[in-house]
Amino acid sequence: MPSPDEILDIVTELAERWTWKMETRRPESNRIDVLLPSAADLVPFVVGLRVQRLGYLSTITGLDAGAEAGQLELLYHFCPGSTVITLRLKLPREGGRVPTLTEIIPSAESSEREVREMFGVTFDGLRNPDPLYLPDDWPAGLYPLRKDFKGNGRLKLA
Amino acid sequence: MEPRIEVERFTIPMGPQHPALKEPGRFRITVEGEIVTQAVVRLGYAHRGIEKAAESRNWIRNQYLFERICGICSHIHATAYCLGVERLAGVEVPPRAQVIRVLVAELERIHSHLLWLGVAGHEAGFDTLFMYSWRDREAIMDVLEALTGNRVNYSANVLGGVKCDVDDALRDAILKAVDVLEKRTHHYLKVVTTDALFLQRTRGIGVMTRSQAEVLGAVGPTARASGVARDVRVEAPYAAYSSFPVQIVVDARGDLEARVVVRMRELFECYRLVREILDHLPTGEVRGRMPRRVPEGETVSRVEAPRGELFYFLKSNGSDTPERVRVRTPTICNMTSVVRLVVGHQLADVPMILAGIDPCFSCNDRVIDVDRVGRSPEQWTWEQLRAHGVDTYHGHRP
Repeated sequence: MPSPDEILDIVTELAERWTWKMETRRPESNRIDVLLPSAADLVPFVVGLRVQRLGYLSTITGLDAGAEAGQLELLYHFCPGSTVITLRLKLPREGGRVPTLTEIIPSAESSEREVREMFGVTFDGLRNPDPLYLPDDWPAGLYPLRKDFKGNGRLKLA
Repeated sequence: MEPRIEVERFTIPMGPQHPALKEPGRFRITVEGEIVTQAVVRLGYAHRGIEKAAESRNWIRNQYLFERICGICSHIHATAYCLGVERLAGVEVPPRAQVIRVLVAELERIHSHLLWLGVAGHEAGFDTLFMYSWRDREAIMDVLEALTGNRVNYSANVLGGVKCDVDDALRDAILKAVDVLEKRTHHYLKVVTTDALFLQRTRGIGVMTRSQAEVLGAVGPTARASGVARDVRVEAPYAAYSSFPVQIVVDARGDLEARVVVRMRELFECYRLVREILDHLPTGEVRGRMPRRVPEGETVSRVEAPRGELFYFLKSNGSDTPERVRVRTPTICNMTSVVRLVVGHQLADVPMILAGIDPCFSCNDRVIDVDRVGRSPEQWTWEQLRAHGVDTYHGHRP
């Protein structure tokens, strides 16, 4: 495993010498954020990380900016050694689509299924259609971790 | 020509009521004869909406909420949360507090691994091992209770430090418990590596190679038993682990026996660490000042729970409640490996392989059902509960 500084350098180079330059940020000394311009950049960049053996995906975090902003953000946290590489991808709140990572990283399945049911993001190519945590009779189009979800008592669900 | 035996295919449901241990999860297992050909897992039976609930509670209340994600490794959840929030708030935690956090974390690891040894023994049909290891585990539970006031959900942490301190009497009690347990652990290690019947259930069963472990994203002792040297305490030391370094325990064999041996050998490492901490406990305060509001920002907090890497992502919007808290527990990472590993094994090995990752479904399932308090027929008042429970048996139902 390369040292934390080397990892940060490799990722900076991967991002900034990409086919087009991608912006990076260093929010903390052990963290680097890469801002992905579009969903099409996700798979190639993750392949790049895997080739460099930096591709241990810890989890995917979904963020909702609220109904007014109309935007969701996905954070893919890769954690080689002590560094945390976060790929940040902005998506429209309605009809957001990203390619699945399960073909490259099989363990991404649980995170992707969770983000799908909690935030309503479609993962193209994600084969398992079952809900992961929510009940089988959970109403369609209701995403609990979005900011405008204020809870609905069990009685309403019938 | 050999006669062809028609093999019928069955789908057998395991769970949701305790598939291997007393927690809910449902497995749909397809078998041909005795051999498993496919396994599908369905989670969510213990989903409580904790990530969502965190967004409506302030930073201080949330610590107690996250501690209740898991009853076995509650301290490590609170530690991950506190370390993250303190980093966001820029609060300096006194060194003695950080060391006590590590001390409690290692005591918790001891109790968790011993608990797991009992469960593994029980699944293997070796109930004597189960009873002995759980009896011995009581020594650690007593120590934890003396130290923090609780057997589970100890709340040793507070934002900015810890609430408990170690005095000389407590120090002696901990050392005494550790001495007893170390002797017992030597005995257990001998039992699990020599008992012929136990080995039949573990040796060569559920083999996960190193590359499989990496591809399936295994963490913790499950990964280390497949030769993947992944331990957050070593890779990215947090709290006081940089002053008290941990020797990583790795076994390349990848079968259930390796998973048992790795956990047993980790126990020795825990005992060594506990002794070293008690010998070199820094003096000073155990609590710093913590502001109510946390400045805007994001941070990632990773710690090594008894079951593997625990990941917290915290986002603050500058108020007294978090904007978003994301929790990724180790069991969900290891669960993927279970459904792959059971294929090709006998049905009877499934509970054993499941228990081999030391699953924690409560950790796994977290996040929804924000009912309005008192309106739902499913919510009972204290009086109703008592009438249904204790009072019925005492014969003085109101």
